[in-house]
Amino acid sequence: MRKHKSDQVLTLLVLGLMVVGLIAIYAVGPMRANLLNVTYGTNYSNDMFFWNQLRSVGMAILAFWVGFKLPYVWLRKHSQKIMFLGILLCVLLAFLAVAGSGLADCQLGGCRWYNLGPIGFQPAELMKFGLVLYLAQLVAVRRKEGKIETREFWLPFGIVSAVALFLVVILQKDLGTGVAFLAIILTSLLMSGVSMKKFWLILLVVILAGVGAIASSDHRKIRVADWLAGNSYHVRNAEMAIGTGGMFGVGVGNSVQAAGYLPESINDSVFAVIGEMFGFLGLLLVLGCFVMLMFRLLKISEHLPDQEERLVVVGIFAWILAHVVANVASMISLMPVTGITLPLLSYGGTSMMFVAGALGLAGQLSCYTSREVKNESISSGRGLRGTYYSGRRRSA
Amino acid sequence: MKHRFKALKLLVIVAVAVIGIRLFLIQIIEHDAWVKAASKQQVMRDMIVAERGEIYMMDDDEPTPVVMNATVWTVLVDPMEANPKKTEKLLDEVIKPKLLASWEKVFEDRTRRYFVVAKNVMRKEAETIKKANLKGVWMQEGTKRVYPEGEMGSRLLGFVNADGTGQYGVEGAFDKDLKGKNGLLKTVKDVNNIPLTIGKENVRVPAQDGKKIVLSIDRNIQRNTEKILAESIKASRGDKASAIVMNPRNGQILAMADLPNYQPENYGNVKGMEDYQNNVLVDAYEPASILKAFTFAAAIDTGAMKPDSVYENTGKVYIEGWPIENAYKGQIGTVSMQTALDFSLNTGSIQALRWLSGSSTDITARGRQKLYEYYHDKFGLGQRTGVELAESAGMLVGPNTGDGRNARYANMTFGQNLNVTMVQVAAAFSSLVNGGHYYTPTVVAGEVKDEVGFVKAKPRKSVRTVVNESTSSTMREMLYGVRKMARLRGTDRPGYYVGGKTGTAQVIRDGKYIMEETIASYAGFGGIEDELPEYVIMVRILGDGRQMSGEADALPIFNQINNYMLDYLKIKPKETL
Repeated sequence: MRKHKSDQVLTLLVLGLMVVGLIAIYAVGPMRANLLNVTYGTNYSNDMFFWNQLRSVGMAILAFWVGFKLPYVWLRKHSQKIMFLGILLCVLLAFLAVAGSGLADCQLGGCRWYNLGPIGFQPAELMKFGLVLYLAQLVAVRRKEGKIETREFWLPFGIVSAVALFLVVILQKDLGTGVAFLAIILTSLLMSGVSMKKFWLILLVVILAGVGAIASSDHRKIRVADWLAGNSYHVRNAEMAIGTGGMFGVGVGNSVQAAGYLPESINDSVFAVIGEMFGFLGLLLVLGCFVMLMFRLLKISEHLPDQEERLVVVGIFAWILAHVVANVASMISLMPVTGITLPLLSYGGTSMMFVAGALGLAGQLSCYTSREVKNESISSGRGLRGTYYSGRRRSA
Repeated sequence: MKHRFKALKLLVIVAVAVIGIRLFLIQIIEHDAWVKAASKQQVMRDMIVAERGEIYMMDDDEPTPVVMNATVWTVLVDPMEANPKKTEKLLDEVIKPKLLASWEKVFEDRTRRYFVVAKNVMRKEAETIKKANLKGVWMQEGTKRVYPEGEMGSRLLGFVNADGTGQYGVEGAFDKDLKGKNGLLKTVKDVNNIPLTIGKENVRVPAQDGKKIVLSIDRNIQRNTEKILAESIKASRGDKASAIVMNPRNGQILAMADLPNYQPENYGNVKGMEDYQNNVLVDAYEPASILKAFTFAAAIDTGAMKPDSVYENTGKVYIEGWPIENAYKGQIGTVSMQTALDFSLNTGSIQALRWLSGSSTDITARGRQKLYEYYHDKFGLGQRTGVELAESAGMLVGPNTGDGRNARYANMTFGQNLNVTMVQVAAAFSSLVNGGHYYTPTVVAGEVKDEVGFVKAKPRKSVRTVVNESTSSTMREMLYGVRKMARLRGTDRPGYYVGGKTGTAQVIRDGKYIMEETIASYAGFGGIEDELPEYVIMVRILGDGRQMSGEADALPIFNQINNYMLDYLKIKPKETL
């Protein structure tokens, strides 16, 4: 299949959301810096968070470009290695933490970050990317071989999923990343073509396991009970920020909740700050962008002739969906707080870079769509059906 | 596969729809409630406390503060956050004597967030503590009344209680003026209570500080009067002594002393409420013979008698069957009214009432009516004077009320069978000697205004005429005559014109007059001849179960205050031939 122009709407949505995040952090970053200075005696300048975020956006754009340019052919060759590198780095991190190394950055009982001097690196993000690539490949290959729903499919799928979840949820105590992993795993499974009966069964097992996990730990029970009772300080203040925003918001720079009341105002709670500053309409716009982005991904996936590529893009879709829904729902007490970022908007480098890189990859793949919707009977192969595509034609 | 894509699309739509509905609920439906809740959390409402007005007394012509404010700090410790070692070390070094509890007690319960460890910490100490910037140690600013003159005038000035409300005296009576009006600071703040410039809710209503009141009381006269009273209490076996010094030309009170004083900064250390009250104003009693001056004035003013009118002194008379005797047993026979005043003969003042009655032998309704008119309506006895402070009305029984009217009125001519306060007598006495003009007594000379300084109160006008000018001058002459002995002894220095009258009152116990306890009083004036008096002084001394005599106990107090006043006011003696 001939390469055509990529999905430009996708690129525009990515850039637009990054700009919204920058505006939000520009507006409330000084308050955050001031608060930390007063509380912890740090010496952050007013615009420190904005410049950091700008740097992150720059690096994320670079990551997007790399994802766009780095040939998928190369990536698919190394997808297993990327997955296992992610797992390895997570395991190494756990060992470093046990050894008490300064390289492991531990907070609140979970060691999630490598401390590399001025920058940090979260290996779970790499693993997330690896998981998307690996599961896509596994499903595609087994389908091609006609071995879907055999032991050769279930065993690697199950083991890799379980190891990945164990590493982030149990070892790193990172429920947010766990939610994202689960979304990627379940979506890959759904799109793998296993029978719906089996899919529902597995979903039921996952839900039961989740309930069991909650019931087995007092700490988690309290957290869920607090959520149900609306007792969370974090959520109450997030809702207060969103609620005071009203229809049109209080205006850029007029957020009071960001002045220390709302925890994580520029990270996980940035949605609430946007709600306060830009109101209901602002939030609908942001949500609209995300919905468009996700629909765009689904459309690209549907039109890709190659099974593995289709599954990669669906995996990226699941990634975005999990982050957006889990983040936003927790801010308005539809879900307990899990500590998950709002893609492209939240302050912080690693998360944004990997999301942008993944979306860049989706952009690259959007160059190879055909006009027809592919069904499962066409397993792979490019260029059989001509040069139809969803984006604009680059040349006649 | 197509339907599975559709399922994913549906999932997105359902998720976003649920989120959208929830957002609509929060942002549109519940918007007002959230704004209210946010305002509760984000808006700081702080009272800007108005500074309580200072109280001044006069020091000659200049106001000088006698009740001031000092900024003090309360030191609080958060036992959960504070480091016990560091906290103990610093506070022991700086404010050890002021610590209210042992450190064991403070840090006993480390879950507590609040412990008051010291109060009334002064600026310098507070600054040292602030500089150390210890975690879990903070301070609250407040003010405290301070009294540069110590106990002086405590019953006149009153005190401020723990709630900041003035009690008794000037603090109580002028509480509203002194308090001022608190302001309001409403501001959006961050989580550390630091004000933000965001929003339209920020309001600042500045506080209006309390009035700085300047009393007409002269600090020097007050201090000296109290000193004289204190010495007299010691010397005369008495336990309570009071004095009031007034300017008869405008009603201003120059000194008002009621001993014993109490410590206003430790106002709780008294035996009872009565230790706060100013007896010059609230203790209505029987001043006895001082009031003969008013009876004589009434008779002279109506033309019923003259100072040289004579009557037959029998030493004892019966009114409605009740015997009334003179305290002084001499001067039996025909005597003049001047002599009757000089020797304080009760028969003399009863005679004056008979003449007021239009008779020379009987007391009639007309006489009682006349006496009541003068005592009550003109001299203002038995009613509140209208001074700015809390006072009692006392009691004067009307001329046609009750049994034994004539006997009662006969007693009233020499100041018994009625209840009046010292301030009533002093104000009345002032009008008696100042040409006959009654001034409402006052303790206020003006106020101190910021950037302006001392602003004097409007000069007072006389509220009524009590007697003719000539009556007043005759009474001055009679009262001057009474002090012949004082002049002969040299107590009253030559060239000055001083007059006055003693009073020795019997006290009622269980409804009967007893002889074992008497209250000594004296009222007098001073100045130079042919001019209106410069001041009026009234003193009183008494003791539980003690016989105090006007002559022996009250007169010497008056003499001392009088001589001090002549010097203090720098009154030049008139050349004597």
